[in-house]
Amino acid sequence: MNSLKIERLSLTLPDGTALCSDLSFSINPGGVLALMGPSGSGKSTILSWITGTLSPGIRASGEVWLGNNRLTDLPAEKRQLGLMLQQDYLFPHMSVGQNLKFGLRGGNKQHRDKRVSESLTEAGLQGMINRDPITLSGGQRARVSLLRTLLSDPHALLLDEPFSRLDVTLREQIRNFTWNHAQHLPTLLVTHDKADVPVHAETVELVPPQTIQPEISLSTIDSTQSR
Amino acid sequence: MTRLTGAVIALAFFTPLVFGILGSVIPAFGLMPQIAAGNGFAELFADPRFLPSIWLSLKTGIIATVIALLLTIATLVCAHGTRLWKFLIASLPPLLAVPHAALAVGLIFLIAPSGWLVRLISPGLSGWSRPPTDWVIPDSGGWSLILGLVIKETPFLLLTAAAQLSTIKVDAALRIGRTLGYAPARCWSRLILPLLYPRLRLTLLIVLAFNLSVVDVAILLGPGNPPTFSVFLLSLVNDPGSRSVASAGALLLALGVGLVYCCVFLIERVIASVAESRRESGHRGTAMKTFRTFGQSVIASIQIISIASLVLLLVWSFTHRWRFPHSLPTEWTLNHWNGRSAEFASPLLTTLGIAVVTLLLAIAAAVAWLECERRMRVPRIDWLWYVPLLIPQVTLLFGWQAIALLTGADGKWLTVVYSHWVYALPYVVLLLAVAWRELDPNWNNAAAVLGAGYWKVLFKVRIPLLIKPICQAAAVALAVSVAQYLPTLLLGAGRHQTLAIELVTSFSGVDRRIIATLAALQSLLPLLAFCAALWMPRMINRHAA
Repeated sequence: MNSLKIERLSLTLPDGTALCSDLSFSINPGGVLALMGPSGSGKSTILSWITGTLSPGIRASGEVWLGNNRLTDLPAEKRQLGLMLQQDYLFPHMSVGQNLKFGLRGGNKQHRDKRVSESLTEAGLQGMINRDPITLSGGQRARVSLLRTLLSDPHALLLDEPFSRLDVTLREQIRNFTWNHAQHLPTLLVTHDKADVPVHAETVELVPPQTIQPEISLSTIDSTQSR
Repeated sequence: MTRLTGAVIALAFFTPLVFGILGSVIPAFGLMPQIAAGNGFAELFADPRFLPSIWLSLKTGIIATVIALLLTIATLVCAHGTRLWKFLIASLPPLLAVPHAALAVGLIFLIAPSGWLVRLISPGLSGWSRPPTDWVIPDSGGWSLILGLVIKETPFLLLTAAAQLSTIKVDAALRIGRTLGYAPARCWSRLILPLLYPRLRLTLLIVLAFNLSVVDVAILLGPGNPPTFSVFLLSLVNDPGSRSVASAGALLLALGVGLVYCCVFLIERVIASVAESRRESGHRGTAMKTFRTFGQSVIASIQIISIASLVLLLVWSFTHRWRFPHSLPTEWTLNHWNGRSAEFASPLLTTLGIAVVTLLLAIAAAVAWLECERRMRVPRIDWLWYVPLLIPQVTLLFGWQAIALLTGADGKWLTVVYSHWVYALPYVVLLLAVAWRELDPNWNNAAAVLGAGYWKVLFKVRIPLLIKPICQAAAVALAVSVAQYLPTLLLGAGRHQTLAIELVTSFSGVDRRIIATLAALQSLLPLLAFCAALWMPRMINRHAA
C-alpha cells in the first residue's frame, strides 16, 4: 500500500470565495487524517476534488498522489479511491449480494460469489445475500456499504461523515467496524464530530471562508495551511 | 370541497372515455344503424389501403419512438452535468410548447428541396440553381414524418427524465459508481437507467400511442398514398357510408397500440434480465470520449433543427420575395401580419376562446380534485389521469363523435371545450399535484389558528403560495388546447375554425408565407402563455406585498 499525498491544493468557489489555499498533507497506509470543521468550510469539496468528482465551476489547483502515481488528471473511475458518504447509497434495484458484486473487481462467477459470501459472513451478515437493502437496519446497511467499497480494492479510503446519520450506539459499533477494516489503507475522514476521530488520527481544522486566518492543529508531515 | 366534488370531476373526466370506447365499438359491429350501417370489419380488410397504411403507421410510430428514447438516453449519458445540458433544459420548455403542426410546417421549410438547408449550400456547394427534384417532402417512406415526431417528442421524454433525475439521487449514484471504478456510461446503464426507466415508462407509452396514431403531423409530413392508418381512418369517417369501417379501424388501432404496449413490456423484461446478469459481471467499461462528443453533436443538431424550424416560420411570415437559391429573403414585408389581420382574427379568437375556457376549467377541476385528495383522503389515482393519453385519439374521438351525433351535441362550442378539457386536465393535475402535495400543511394550520376558515385559507394562503405552479399548469393547458386538431375537427363539425384547423386544412393549397404566418401565430400563443406564467406570479406577489 502507498501513501495518499495532497500537494498545494487550492479551491475557489464560482463566486470567487477561496475555500482553501496551498493545503498539503500526506497519509501513510494505516494512518487516518481527520479533516474537521463546521459546515461550509469545504471539507466535502476537498474530498470531491481528491476523488475527481468536483462540480464544474469550482476552480481547483494542486496535486494528488498515491505513492508515485499522480492521480490529478485521472478520471474518477481510474483513481481506485474508496468513497463512503453520509448516506449509504445502497442501490435499491440490487440485492445485498448484487450491491457487493457491483463493487467487486474481476474474477469468475464462482470466485465472485465466494468473496461476497465470505465478506458477508465476516461482517456478521451471513444469510443476507439475497435481501433487499431496504429491509436492512441502519447498521447493517452501513456495513454493507463499507464492504462494497472495500471489495472494490481501493488504495485509499475517503470517508465523508459516514457515521453522522447513525444513532449513538450504532455509531460506536460501525466506527470500530470501519477502523478494523481500514487498518492497512491511508484513510481521510471528513467529520465535524470529534468522537468520530480515532485516537491515532492526525487532525486538520478547516474554517469557513471569509474568516480570519485559521489556526491549524496539524501534525502531518508537510501540511502548511488550510486556507 | 366534498367527496361529491371529487366524484363529479372523476365522472366528468372518465365518462367520455367510456363513451368514447363504446362509441367506437358499437358502430364497428353495425349496432348503431342511425349513424353506421353494416359490419365495418369485412369492408376494412378488403380495402387495398388497409395493410400498407398499418405498416406505415407501425414503421413511423415505432421507429420515431425508439429514436426519441435512444436520443433521450444519449442526452442523459453524454450531456448530463455539462453546459449543453443546462442549455437543453432551458430551451426545452418553449420548444415543447410549440404545437406539433406548427413545428412540422417549420420543418418542411427547412428540409424540403426548396428549403433553407438546400438554399444554404446552393448554388455554391451543390451547384443547384433550381430546387432539386431528387426527393420530395413528404417522402413516400415516411422518414420526414419520423424526423418531425422525433424532434417534437424527444424534448417531452427528456424533460420528464430530467424531472425524475432528482428523485433517484443521480449525482450521488454517479459519484459512488465512478469511485468504484465504473466508466460514466456504465454508471448510467448499471445504476441510473434501471431506476429511471420505470419512472419514464408511462411517458414513453404516451409518446408511443401518439406516434402510432397522430393525425395532424401525419397529414403535413406523412406520405399521401398510402397515408398513415389514422389519416386513412379520418378519410373514412368523413364519408357517411364508411362510418362503420372507420369505427372498425379505430378499434383495431386501439388493439394494435395495446399489442405494441405488450411488446414493450416483453422487451423490457428481456432487457432487464440481460442487464441484471451483466451487472454482476463487475466489468467496469471504458470511457469513450468520441462517443460522448458524437452524442453531444447529435443532440445539439436535433435542438438546432427545432429552433431553426421555428425561426423559419417567423422569417417566412415576414417575407415578400424569397427566390431560390437565396439563403435569405430579398424583400421583407409586414403585410402578412397587417393585411390579413381580419382574416386571422376569427380563428385566433376562436382558438383563444376555447383555450382560455379550457384552462380555467382545467385549473378549477385540478385544484378541486387535489383539495379533495388532501382533505377527504381520496386515493391518489395518478396513473388513471394518463388513460386518455394512452388510448389513440382517433379511437376515442370517433366514439365521442358517434355519441355526439346521436345526442345532437356535435358542433356545439361546449362539446369542443369539453374534449379539450379532457386532454388538458391530465397535464394540469399531474403538474400541480407535486407542488400541491408538498406544500407544508403548517401553512394551513398557521392560518386556521388565526381564525381563517377553509375557503379563506384556500384562496388567501394556499393558492397564492402555489401561484407559480398554477400559472405554469395554466400555460400548459393553453398550449394543449391550442394544439388540438382532431377534437376540434370531429366534434366541432366544421363550425369552429381554430388556428390548428386552418393550418392543417389550408396547408397544401395556400401560399407558403400565409401558412408560415398562421403557424407562427399558433406557436406564439403558447409561448406568450409561458412568458405570462413566468411574469404573473411576480406581478401577483408584488401586488400582494
